[in-house]
Amino acid sequence: MSYLARTLPKRVPNPFLAQSIRQTRALSTKTLQSTPTTRTTQHKPRTNQRHRTYHSALHARLPDHSYTNSQTAILTSALAHVPTHGFSATALTLGARDAGFLDVSVQLLPRGEFDLILFWLASRRGLLRGKVEEGGLFRRIAAEKGKDVHELSVEERVRGLLLERLRMNMEVKDVWQDALAQMSLLANIPLSLTELHALASDILTLSGDDAVDATWYTRRLAVSAIYASAEVVMTRDPTPDLVETAAFVERRFEDRKALADKITGIGQCAGFGWNTAIGLGRSWGLKI
Amino acid sequence: MSTMSTRSAWRALHYSAKRRAFQPTTPYRCFSCANRTQEQKPGNDRMTHFGFTNVPESEKETRVGAVFSSVAASYDRMNDLMSLGIHRLWKDHFVRSLNPGSCLPAMTADQRGWNILDIAGGTGDIAFRMLDHATNVNHDMETRVTISDINADMLAEGRKRSLDTPYYNTSRLDFVEANAEHMPHIPDASVDLYTVVFGIRNFTDKQAALNEAYRVLKPGGVFACMEFSKVDNPVLDGIYKRWNFSAIPLIGQVVAGDRDSYQYLVESIERFPSQEEFRGMIQKAGFMIPGQGFENLTGGIAAIHKGIKPIVKA
Repeated sequence: MSYLARTLPKRVPNPFLAQSIRQTRALSTKTLQSTPTTRTTQHKPRTNQRHRTYHSALHARLPDHSYTNSQTAILTSALAHVPTHGFSATALTLGARDAGFLDVSVQLLPRGEFDLILFWLASRRGLLRGKVEEGGLFRRIAAEKGKDVHELSVEERVRGLLLERLRMNMEVKDVWQDALAQMSLLANIPLSLTELHALASDILTLSGDDAVDATWYTRRLAVSAIYASAEVVMTRDPTPDLVETAAFVERRFEDRKALADKITGIGQCAGFGWNTAIGLGRSWGLKI
Repeated sequence: MSTMSTRSAWRALHYSAKRRAFQPTTPYRCFSCANRTQEQKPGNDRMTHFGFTNVPESEKETRVGAVFSSVAASYDRMNDLMSLGIHRLWKDHFVRSLNPGSCLPAMTADQRGWNILDIAGGTGDIAFRMLDHATNVNHDMETRVTISDINADMLAEGRKRSLDTPYYNTSRLDFVEANAEHMPHIPDASVDLYTVVFGIRNFTDKQAALNEAYRVLKPGGVFACMEFSKVDNPVLDGIYKRWNFSAIPLIGQVVAGDRDSYQYLVESIERFPSQEEFRGMIQKAGFMIPGQGFENLTGGIAAIHKGIKPIVKA
């Protein structure tokens, strides 16, 4: 009671304590009623960029990677050598030399080549976010489809971001299979999957998806699966602008839609069957 | 027969009687001068631990020296028996993870090969592995190792072993007898890689040795240390402790004929700081810590610690 009294809003006239408390109660019930927290309608993704989604507004975004300044210096210079030397110890050593370190300083990266791959993934993810926040990316995607930015659906945005991320791999396309092999080593799988999830999550968040139901998981799973398989296709795509990969991604999104439709259909069919069975049983006099 | 033994016993007694120094019950005190006040009191010396016993800092060095002089000859055989051969795997892993030697051509002449300083590496265990790795894996014929040890007996053992390696009497291998806490003969910023394997435990002042390592390393150079550490799994820890305190002194007694040295060994392992504490000491010396800063081997029985000397941008 005393707590309520202490936290009274200033503008409520407070001649008598009892009256003010009654008013506060009325206020709080009104607020509760005006904003329902549970959703009864089917989920419709919001496309408004400004809207802060499920994560807390009180916490700043985590950095894309957790490397220190010296590590970042070595890794950044090493990335310049990746197209020629691949994601290898050689590229790391050359990067260390370029950054003014010694050959032995690659000890700063306990995971060696895998750190270089992780840094590549994390820094590209950061670049993708930068491109979206700058605002030009969605305008370009909309212009390609002959639409206005606000008319783009979440699905179209997801597809655009996914393709944009794949195109970022263009310069390392020839050495990317080695990197995939490294990432699939048993010890490296957990971190690779974490990074893949972070990418899928970023793509969906940036596209304005704000689902908080079970589809939060299935959406991320679907985007991860499509991205991972498209990466493999990309490494064997000879076209200069990744036309084949784009077509592949297009087909996977169609598949996803078809699969979702089928699952919904099966669910409906099962529901009908169950209801019919119950109705039939009742008509026979069963107590159900 | 009996006269012989009587005679030798008499001789021993006689000898010791002759050599016994005169020790007055009260210390010397001259009433006309202040000599006694100038005498150093033994209690004033700073104490450090020698196994589970506390000894003055000035004494630890000689005591550790005695231990290692005593074990030098049987060092390798004892290591095999005590660690069931695992120490070889650890040392191989240590060297492989450091990957000594450059497989790329150097950009400038003074960058050719690495300058490695192997502290407390008297028997050459690590040094020969490093040179082998540099030569055979990275095809680097320039990398050189300086073996530094405080104990002349261990160095002699290493010299003897180097006869069987291709590095004997070449400029790639060098032996120096020095105290790792103070190495005035090694200039500042001259070493690429500083290693100390199963040695820093015996140092009197570990922080001083770390500071000295920081001084001799080039900017960007690496400090790498492998040392016994704390086991994190309580079940494994129980077995390990039982092995340490029951089996190892016994093996020492049977194989090397020296129980006390191996008793000191297990006690010094027990007294060595945990992974996190030692990482803190490395950081305190000024090193950057890569990632977690240490890698546990065999559940934490041994751990590899690394630190990198930062580059100061002008």
